[in-house]
Amino acid sequence: MITDFGRILIFLLIGAVFTGGGLAASWVLRPRRPYPGKLSTYECGEEPIGGSWVKFNIRFYVVALIFLVFDVEVVFLFPWALVFKEFGMFAFIEMVVFLAILIVGYAYVWVKGDLDWDKPVPRVSRYVKGVGVVSDETADVNEHAAA
Amino acid sequence: MGLLDKQFDNSNIVITSLDSLLNWARLSSLYQLQFGLACCAIEMMAASASNFDMMRFGVIPRATPRQVDVMIVSGTVTLKMASRIKKLFDQMAEPRYVISMGSCSNCGGPYWEHGYHVLKGVDRVIPVDVYVPGCPPRPEALIEGLMKLQEKVRNESLAKKKIA
Amino acid sequence: MTPQEIADKISARFAGVPGIGIEAKLDSPVDPYIKISPDHILDATKFLRDDEEMLFDFLSCLSGVDLKGRLAVVYQLFSMVKRHKITLKVEVPTDIPNVQSVESIWKTANWHEREAFDLYGITFIGHPDLRRILLPYDWEGHPLRKDYQVPEYYNGMKVPY
Repeated sequence: MITDFGRILIFLLIGAVFTGGGLAASWVLRPRRPYPGKLSTYECGEEPIGGSWVKFNIRFYVVALIFLVFDVEVVFLFPWALVFKEFGMFAFIEMVVFLAILIVGYAYVWVKGDLDWDKPVPRVSRYVKGVGVVSDETADVNEHAAA
Repeated sequence: MGLLDKQFDNSNIVITSLDSLLNWARLSSLYQLQFGLACCAIEMMAASASNFDMMRFGVIPRATPRQVDVMIVSGTVTLKMASRIKKLFDQMAEPRYVISMGSCSNCGGPYWEHGYHVLKGVDRVIPVDVYVPGCPPRPEALIEGLMKLQEKVRNESLAKKKIA
Repeated sequence: MTPQEIADKISARFAGVPGIGIEAKLDSPVDPYIKISPDHILDATKFLRDDEEMLFDFLSCLSGVDLKGRLAVVYQLFSMVKRHKITLKVEVPTDIPNVQSVESIWKTANWHEREAFDLYGITFIGHPDLRRILLPYDWEGHPLRKDYQVPEYYNGMKVPY
């Protein structure tokens, strides 16, 4: 009687009722006593400076983009895995070609360094006998710009 | 709507049961704003650590005032910090409580006489519910202060207080 | 090098300079110190830091002192390489407390001088960023002076007990 899509619709409606009902119930029950101090933006007790929208580092975008591409590849793998037994060798070769194209792309991304998360290079100091500790940092620290 | 905000006229069986339920839920999960300022903070950390374990009372430290019920002011409150404490207390959501831990936040502590920059007691800027004396108070003393706060929460009611 | 040798070296280097005011008090029970005039402290410390035999490359501490009527700045220097130390003192009158800043010699003096300014009111000439460091920026007065009065109210909060 009810189609498969109908079942999914009922599932969606129950999910919506669960979350919406919880939110509505708390909206009805909770106390509401706003005043300007309570509504101010939290900045560890200080007066908030600037807006709260900050720029994200570009690395997150790069990693997310690469993940998305290969996630779509995995999405294509799932239905193939269900039906490839019926089609035999032909389907297998086809999928190998598909994966080979994507592996070339992956190798390119890897070699180009798009998968690296930048790590800082540490500055180390050396000890020279008779002179003392020699490093770039202490030399910088006591120098002043106007020599 | 704010049904929990209303004060009901006479307390009947529904209100008292609801009161018990709400108060039990609130006192068993008093999330604290980790607000350690000075030496009392060490004792507060010791109270949260494994030997005295405040977490078994449901007291979990949260970093933001939006998610907490109780602010434990532990340590010397300077005048510079006092305005921030006021702001953080304002940003807490009701029902909110304050435990003043240690001598310095109760009354200025050892700096009461000559401390030019010390606020003599955090109750000059925010309303305090429980004072825990000590310099610093032992972790057991802080936990007793917490239990006194739980007593206070247990006696709250949605019904209006009858003036005899 | 002993403090006597260090004092001799400095006196020899700045022998002809007028107003240098070098006095060495080497029998002090706490720390033997050398007093220098506040206008020449920059040259003296540069010499102390760069001279091959002394190499005072570490400023351990810079603190202010209120001797009634005068303010003093005490510098405690240490040499990481040669392992010797010396104390310098500079005295200024309380109404015009100007001292040359040694921030260009040792960067650590940046915050130390800010603290001396904050608590004593000693102004350091040549300091790039002289403002209060411990007290709030709108605090009035310099608390560690001997004649300081605790204010009644600060931003609506009562200060005394």
